[in-house]
Amino acid sequence: MTYFLHFLLSGLYIGTIYSIIALGMVIIYKSTKVFNFAQGHLLMVGVLLTATIGSKFGVIGGLVIGFLGTAFLGFLLERLTLRPLIGQPLIAALLMTIAIGYLLEGGAIMAWGEGLYKYIELFPAKAVLLGKFPVRQEILWAFIVVIVSFSLFGLFYRKTLLGKAMRATAEDHQVSQSLGIRVARIFSISWVVSGMMAFIASVFLGNLSGGHYLNYALGLKAIPAVLVGGLDSIVGAIIGGLIVGVIESLVTGYLTAELGEVIPFIVLLLVLLVKPHGLFGLVRIERV
Amino acid sequence: MATRPAGVYDVTYQQDIAVVRTLPQWISLFIFLCFLAVFPILFPNRYLLNLVNTILIFIISAYGLNILTGYAGQISVGHAAFMGVGAYACATFMTSLRLSFWISLPLSGITAGLVGILFGFPSLRLKGFYLAMTTIAAQFIITSFFLHFYKPEVLGGVKFLSGVTLKPIQLGTITFNTQENLYYLIMPCTVIMTFFARNLVRSRLGRAFVAIRDNDLAAEIMGISLFHYKLKAFFIGCFFAGISGAIYIAFMRIIRPDQYTLMDSIWILGILIIGGLGSHLGPIFGVIFVKLLDEVALLFAPALGKMLPAALSSRIGASMGLVIFGFIVVLFLILEPRGIAHRWEILKGRFRHWPFTYG
Repeated sequence: MTYFLHFLLSGLYIGTIYSIIALGMVIIYKSTKVFNFAQGHLLMVGVLLTATIGSKFGVIGGLVIGFLGTAFLGFLLERLTLRPLIGQPLIAALLMTIAIGYLLEGGAIMAWGEGLYKYIELFPAKAVLLGKFPVRQEILWAFIVVIVSFSLFGLFYRKTLLGKAMRATAEDHQVSQSLGIRVARIFSISWVVSGMMAFIASVFLGNLSGGHYLNYALGLKAIPAVLVGGLDSIVGAIIGGLIVGVIESLVTGYLTAELGEVIPFIVLLLVLLVKPHGLFGLVRIERV
Repeated sequence: MATRPAGVYDVTYQQDIAVVRTLPQWISLFIFLCFLAVFPILFPNRYLLNLVNTILIFIISAYGLNILTGYAGQISVGHAAFMGVGAYACATFMTSLRLSFWISLPLSGITAGLVGILFGFPSLRLKGFYLAMTTIAAQFIITSFFLHFYKPEVLGGVKFLSGVTLKPIQLGTITFNTQENLYYLIMPCTVIMTFFARNLVRSRLGRAFVAIRDNDLAAEIMGISLFHYKLKAFFIGCFFAGISGAIYIAFMRIIRPDQYTLMDSIWILGILIIGGLGSHLGPIFGVIFVKLLDEVALLFAPALGKMLPAALSSRIGASMGLVIFGFIVVLFLILEPRGIAHRWEILKGRFRHWPFTYG
């Protein structure tokens, strides 16, 4: 039973990281209709930036610089590379984010090399006892962050003017532009917010595995999480991330690690065969 | 609208879809084929032939993806995995079942095509990013299958994990072991597959693919069965990939589990964007451009390494390929999304209208 709980908890922890990455992807997709393949690469930059700055200027400095840096990088990417692609077919946007990913990966290797950087210590090592079962503090924090960000984004999209504008933009770019919404600004804002989400995910990932350029691979694993939940659903991102994380962890624990690597993708195929828009995605009726 | 040579008018539909229209075009095609045939005699350079052979193999694969993504509009980010299926299938047929290469080659193409159909099934209900991401799933599932679960030794073959070396391919008394001989194995295959691909897209099948790409619902209303044609597109695209993978086995004579990664799949997709997606010359231009770029980068890497401090130069070596490829794809997407093939058409038009600038 402890064995099971152990794998369940580590699965939930990695699942929350997936959820936060997936949330960033969903935010971009919701307003710009672009699937950001480079979300994992943004996260990698966040981890490395925070780890190196944090070792020089302390925890606060690292966090602030990492946060601002990742958000600014998101802004820059949208402005320089994706803005010229508006109106191009889908494959152009897809390949653009992939190419950005390569550029960021190559840039990270140039700037940081292939070494492992020690991440700043944020969470006390002492475990909290839930009943009799010890739980590491960062797991609790990850949960709090997921729940808070989920409710904040839910409120934001439902109540604020900006959130409503973003939802309108997601519906139709031209119509919202003619209604007076500055679509270009909405695009920038969603990329900046997505960069922030990448940074938040990077904090938990950094605690888990330290700073390394291979951290971007986690973004690839978040892809099943996004699609299982549905590309345009915030609830879906959270639940998809948790499902994928738990299944991966349990399969790794009880069967083999090799199967655990691919099980998210098998789950993705099965879910999409039954529900083509993911579990919570909006089903659109197409007209010719 | 592509311009025609002066004085060439289409009266029948046959003329309209003709590839070669005039006598000079026939002659230049003939000269080009002769040039291909005597290429190793003209340039007996092992390094160059090795490069040309690699280019020829990847042209086949790129044609497959061009049919699947460029014409039928089904984005596939797992093309290298299907190359891998062809390669592993060919190696299995040759080592475990002891078939000759000439039988294994079409068989491995068909195997890859069938696996392609299997992963093409979601395409019936999925579109856009959802479909692209299921092909990524195919990529991960297939490579992981080969890495961890594929056991050809059960069939009486050898283990592939250790990097098995195959015997050179033989035809009668000819052994394909040198670069020149391999060229004569690979070049005819590429020419045949190019011929096949070029003619396929102007047939009924190709027109159906283009209709599906432009709007699949409209295509279905016009009577094109999406079920059949999407799966056919997956079969043909992956068949090309499988043939290319099988020839790659004959070329490298070694099969390693760390090949055919997601990076390779994206590489082929990038090649198509650079060359021109959905144009018949795109794959050729793209593969040649990217491969030559790689060679140029390799040439300049040592010089660059000398100028920079030692710690930085090793990092440059590890990341330069990534950065250059990413940068070129970004540039092409922003500046010329229709690729080199479009520029080539413009250039041809210029020559035909010369000295006039309009056309």
